[in-house]
Amino acid sequence: MEIDREDGRTPNQLRPLACSRNILHRPHGSASWSQGDTKVLAAVYGPKAGAKKNENAEKACFEVIWKPKTGQIGKVEKEYEMIMKRTIQSICVLTVNPNTTTSVIIQVVHDDGSLLPCAINAACAALVDAGIPMKHLAVAICCCLADSGYVVLDPNKLEEKKMTAFAYLVFPNTTLSVLSEGSSVAKGESVEHGIITSVTHGLMSVDDYFLCVENGRAATASLSAFFRKNFQQSQRDSSKAG
Amino acid sequence: MEGRLNNMWRLTVNESKFVESALQSELRVDGRGLYDYRKLTIKFGKESGSSEVQLGQTHVMAFVTAQLVQPYKDRPNEGSFSIFTVFSPMADPSFEPGHPGESAVELGRIIDRALRESRAVDTESLCVLAGKLVWSVRIDLHILDNGGNLVDAANIAALAALLTFRRPDCTVGGENSQEVIIHPPEEREPLPLIIHHLPVAFTFGFFNKGSILVMDPTYVEEAVMCGRMTVTVNANGDICAIQKPGEEGVNQSVILHCLRLASSRAAATTKIIREAVEAYNRERSSQKVKRHHTLAKSEVLGPVVVV
Repeated sequence: MEIDREDGRTPNQLRPLACSRNILHRPHGSASWSQGDTKVLAAVYGPKAGAKKNENAEKACFEVIWKPKTGQIGKVEKEYEMIMKRTIQSICVLTVNPNTTTSVIIQVVHDDGSLLPCAINAACAALVDAGIPMKHLAVAICCCLADSGYVVLDPNKLEEKKMTAFAYLVFPNTTLSVLSEGSSVAKGESVEHGIITSVTHGLMSVDDYFLCVENGRAATASLSAFFRKNFQQSQRDSSKAG
Repeated sequence: MEGRLNNMWRLTVNESKFVESALQSELRVDGRGLYDYRKLTIKFGKESGSSEVQLGQTHVMAFVTAQLVQPYKDRPNEGSFSIFTVFSPMADPSFEPGHPGESAVELGRIIDRALRESRAVDTESLCVLAGKLVWSVRIDLHILDNGGNLVDAANIAALAALLTFRRPDCTVGGENSQEVIIHPPEEREPLPLIIHHLPVAFTFGFFNKGSILVMDPTYVEEAVMCGRMTVTVNANGDICAIQKPGEEGVNQSVILHCLRLASSRAAATTKIIREAVEAYNRERSSQKVKRHHTLAKSEVLGPVVVV
């Protein structure tokens, strides 16, 4: 039995993606990422001298500032900042610039569901634009669970409200994850198929959670392909200009 | 604290001398004339009341929202509006997150004064139930990229957002006419705000002890200039607000010259804003026609699928 989504998508279909980089002049790196109507702007200021208090001075430090569309910063925004900071710390190479602080600023332009994954994708694109050394990219997706037990990907705001539970999942985007034959198998589960971050809201059974993870990981292939195509295209454009 | 100061961008002596000596020969670093403005683009977002303005390298976004609140005791028949300025750390490495600094507050006050004192936004039409419920309009200005002259860009963004904002229609009903029913946009078309005129801001920079005048300074020129003035005028030639916050003293004739320059440009800028708003309204009304089509389609398909 197929679920009927309002905008006519299938349960595993993502909304149209759009990404543009280097849109702002003062920040060292900037990107805007939109999934359907949800649009997020990310800006990166490269390594500044000095680590913050209570931070390890032997490693590079990251700070994330989340700016909502209207209103003051509340607990929800602080939570998003913390999740994004941990995610970025795990994908960036921390040993290259010790005792420095890199700031990532997120501005919500429009929220139509699946906001945190959109912000993480925007932050990755902005970090690439700024040239911050990273181990690999992160690809984020929102999977939610409908009443009937169906897993639906990339919900919009109305769908998110109707769902019983949803999970934000962030997967690594290594080059090896595309070529499944060449992947290294370590203790049965290959390393590239790990989960970087997982945030769940609502009640879901363990089996349902694993179903979400399966579907999410399958969808990240198309997101990774989009990332790759987008970056390669801009590289080609800049090499033509140069 | 010292770490933060070390990271601040400071203009080098070479750059400031270059800018000043170029201005002596009436040349600006980016090749503009002294009174030329940079390229202005006005774009709108998905929701009503959201605008994005680019003035050269300066990038500003404005969001307008409204909610029903109790009116002020001394103005029971009038709605209210308030402006919140956010100098996002995205715009400039020296902007700190958290509490707005002096320049953020000043920018908000200049725009607020121009709109409020000159009665550009009609507040009496925002009254729903006298003494009980009125609409309170909130304008959030986000500075995304500081390329200089934030006041002008933010002012245009605020005006564009106010012109395209639609508030929900509400009727007073129930017993004693004390209940207010807010109609969702699907039921009744949301209403625009009544804007009587558009106060547009023009910023001037003074160099060389007030003898050289420049319009629309970039952030490099702002770091060099010795004084500035913002004049807010509307297309009718009325002066809505003037702001000259201290700094270098300037001759009266120069001030009058600035006022004349500003009023001569007001009509052109107002036209640009109105044209952008017209184009956006046309596009939105044509989109609405398509929406009804898809709604009708799904209504037809719905029952068929269930069976």
